[in-house]
Amino acid sequence: MNVIDLHAVTRTYGEGPTAVRALRGVDLQVEQGEFIVVLGPSGSGKTTLLNLIGGIEEATSGGLVVDGIDLSQMDEDGRTEFRRSHVGFVFQFFNLIPTLTALENVQLMAELVGRNHDESLAALDAVGLADRADHFPGMLSGGEQQRVAIARALVKQPPLLLVDEPTGSLDLDTGRQVLNQLRAVADRDGRTVLLVTHNAAIGGMGDKVVRLHSGELASIRPNERPLRAEEVEW
Amino acid sequence: MVSILNRKLRRDLRLRRSQFAAVIITIVLGIALFGGSYDAYQNLTDSYHQLFVTLNTADMTIAGGQTDAIVQAAKGVSGVAAVTTRTVADIPVTVNGDHKMVGRLVGIPESGQPTIDKVDILSGAYPDASATVLIEQHMAKHFDLKAGDTIQVLGPDGWMTERIAGVAASAEYLWPSQSRQQIIPSFDDFGIVFADESLLTDVPATDAHQEVLITYKSNVDRTGLDRLLEDFAKNNGASNATPLADLPSNAALSEDLAGFQEMSLMFPLLFLAAAGMATYVLLTRLVLSQRGQIGLLMASGFRKRSVFGHYLRYGLLAGAVGAVIGAPLGGVLGGVISRLYTGALSVPATVITARWSTALIGVVFALVAGALSALAPAMRAAKLIPAQAMRGLVPAGKGGATWVERVLPPLRRLPARWKSVLRGVGRNRNRTISTVIGVVLAVTLILTFWGMIDSTQVLLNRQFDEVNRQNAQVYLTGQATPDAVSKIAAEPGVAHAEAVADLSASIKSATSQYHTELLGFQPNTNLHSFLVGGHDVPLPQSGVFLGTSLEKDLGIKVGDTVTIDVPDVNIHTTQTVAGFVDEPLGTYAYMSLPELTTLAGGTNVANTVYLTYTPSAQPETMRNDLSALPSVAAFIDSQALQSMARQYMGLFYAFVGIMLALGGIMAFALIYNTISANIAERASEVAMMRAGGIARRTISRLLTAENVLLTLIGVIPGLLFGYVFAYYGLAVYSSDLFKWDLYIRPTTYVFTVIAIIIAALVSQRPVLRAVQRLDVATVVRERSL
Repeated sequence: MNVIDLHAVTRTYGEGPTAVRALRGVDLQVEQGEFIVVLGPSGSGKTTLLNLIGGIEEATSGGLVVDGIDLSQMDEDGRTEFRRSHVGFVFQFFNLIPTLTALENVQLMAELVGRNHDESLAALDAVGLADRADHFPGMLSGGEQQRVAIARALVKQPPLLLVDEPTGSLDLDTGRQVLNQLRAVADRDGRTVLLVTHNAAIGGMGDKVVRLHSGELASIRPNERPLRAEEVEW
Repeated sequence: MVSILNRKLRRDLRLRRSQFAAVIITIVLGIALFGGSYDAYQNLTDSYHQLFVTLNTADMTIAGGQTDAIVQAAKGVSGVAAVTTRTVADIPVTVNGDHKMVGRLVGIPESGQPTIDKVDILSGAYPDASATVLIEQHMAKHFDLKAGDTIQVLGPDGWMTERIAGVAASAEYLWPSQSRQQIIPSFDDFGIVFADESLLTDVPATDAHQEVLITYKSNVDRTGLDRLLEDFAKNNGASNATPLADLPSNAALSEDLAGFQEMSLMFPLLFLAAAGMATYVLLTRLVLSQRGQIGLLMASGFRKRSVFGHYLRYGLLAGAVGAVIGAPLGGVLGGVISRLYTGALSVPATVITARWSTALIGVVFALVAGALSALAPAMRAAKLIPAQAMRGLVPAGKGGATWVERVLPPLRRLPARWKSVLRGVGRNRNRTISTVIGVVLAVTLILTFWGMIDSTQVLLNRQFDEVNRQNAQVYLTGQATPDAVSKIAAEPGVAHAEAVADLSASIKSATSQYHTELLGFQPNTNLHSFLVGGHDVPLPQSGVFLGTSLEKDLGIKVGDTVTIDVPDVNIHTTQTVAGFVDEPLGTYAYMSLPELTTLAGGTNVANTVYLTYTPSAQPETMRNDLSALPSVAAFIDSQALQSMARQYMGLFYAFVGIMLALGGIMAFALIYNTISANIAERASEVAMMRAGGIARRTISRLLTAENVLLTLIGVIPGLLFGYVFAYYGLAVYSSDLFKWDLYIRPTTYVFTVIAIIIAALVSQRPVLRAVQRLDVATVVRERSL
């Protein structure tokens, strides 16, 4: 079953001669449990693609079905509802709330979908941070903060995890730890992970590598043997 | 380089135009109100001064005593320009056929304008043999009197009809108060009549007294001259010596002038402090968001001084724009206030001057406020280390449980979103402090003026409901003998009537002297309450009660003795101070009537009758019926006086209403800026929450709760500070004319808090609209690039 089903999706910013066509007729199908890495240079439309799939942005045209829900027919309130239960986001900048502890940052999202304290703690445990639950963001390293952000996205138990440049602010070792966690989300939990990055080395970790160029889908190539995080170099 | 930076500055300002507009509006209000109140103070002072000069108003007025001796002594004093005398008498007058009241007949020469205390004839002509009196303008307006009409004056042989020659204004009766004790005039009951001196020769000696009017040369030591002439007056048996500044009218107007002067200091303080806070918050946020740019500038060779100057210019520019709009606005406002005020008081001429000095002071105030508020953010910008700043990382801010959670552990079980509200309050200490100070300023402004309304109402209620218990006071054509009082008491509608002595007296301590009215009541009277130390106590059989202001003015305390002189009934006595009565209006002395009668050698000293009505009696009917009695010479309706006082307070309430509105605008501007900064700092968090599926409504609710909580934290010190500010603000106005005690109703505190919360809620509406419109994709994209 396809978790993501995109048909001829376009996204244009602005109008007239200054209009920017960020995505041009993209077709993409992603199955449940796949770990997809989207690669492309800056301005290729990676983040736009991620935002469209996550319901943050609206497509200008084309069909967009995610987890069985047709996003092209939805208004903003509907998309908010969709984001709440169907996707989890992880951004390059962790955007943790500095006044809440690691556990409370996770709870913030858990409460949204009726998950309890133990489930929040379990989400933190899953990213190896149970012992840091009472620490505030200012007391955590960058990698730890990103892992809290992953736990925050996962606690809702969404079928789809959308990740935007997760290692952009991290060093190699810490980046590898985070990538390991993300890979485990797909392998262990059977969730679909769509990871957007400009770092070609990370492409080796994906079940499939999607390449974007100037808003067009340049290629979709499966990896016969996805690399483990420890094998990735950049 | 500088021109590019200036272009950046212009564009930054355009980008944050609503926040800068809020700052500028607050500065404009502060400068305009400063200019308005200070110019009004100057204009009114000049207007009065011009009138005093034009009408050659007496610098010193000495009443009673050995007039000839005083005149001779005064003429011999170096610095005295001119001396003259006149006769003054408070006697019953009838206007419009049957309206009986007290008229103050002020003597003017038959030959033409007096040399001192001239009158400004507004209509008609100077009196002559056919028309002998001029009516003071307030009285003429109240009774619609004009040249050719007649009034009746009570002479020794009964009512005398006098023709009105014209309507006049007088510098000494710009505000026609009867005395310092009766500073609020009731036009129904009291009016000024300028009469040919020959008319006053017919008035009984007990009702009339001679006054010596003295003017000074310019450039003399006025205080020294005042003191010297006061000594002459005392040594020659005068009942009172009143310098120009202490004339009842002048003293009342001076209170208002002092008010304008005080406001001209208070407004810039409050508004510019608020504007400063708003600028500080705005620029702190600006510097934080431009860390990368600042780092780049400094790495590229910009000096710290240039960066410092660049950010300082934001504050200076806000101050300059505020000054450019506020200073001329203040000038216009000063003229408008002056005209409205002199119009309301019927001051014949208003001096309106454009004062560059006021505008210049306003500009300096605005620039200093702008520069001071930009100083700290500009210094912070200049101190940034380029390499660190260019990383573009905004400090995450500190985390930690609040002390409230530590004190109240159940709060730790709150949902995470509500914990974020609770902790968000203390997240940025500077912003929290700025908001709290801003709220304190707004609460102070609102509570001060609302407190003034409350205090005024309490003051009037206390005076007219608690202290003065009589419904009316009548002056009789003859003595207030027991028989005459009984006849009044027997009239339909009269519940109780009592003879009272109302005598002009001087109270002397070892160090000072005060001229006032000495009232003699029956010891068990229920027509007047004597509030001593908060309790209603009976009048003592012997000894004297004095108004509280005399404790300080005469330097005396309970148990001390004072000398009391009542020249009209030949009383010269030493009495023990039995207590100080707490009365809001005027400063009187009270003794028992039997004691006064004894001191006067058994002569009946009662000269008026106080009375109360039965519950069904109608005040207007009672006035008509009692005024119609032949034995009644003048009638004073307590309700009319009270209505007059409340009517004048109406102007005051309108003024206070405007101040409350301005306080609201100030609160709005300040809270709007702090809340804008709060939300701008958290755009990425908000975007994350939105991306996570948290509804806009929920986010708005959380931000609203946090901001209201922040506002409420400022409310508590604000109420305390506001109380103290209002207390000292009112204390400035307390004198022997008015005794202002601060009283703030509990509901006022509640309404003030509600007003501030409403201001907070209203001011965050535009910000919340921005949250509603927040483009999550843009925020996420900006952070991801």
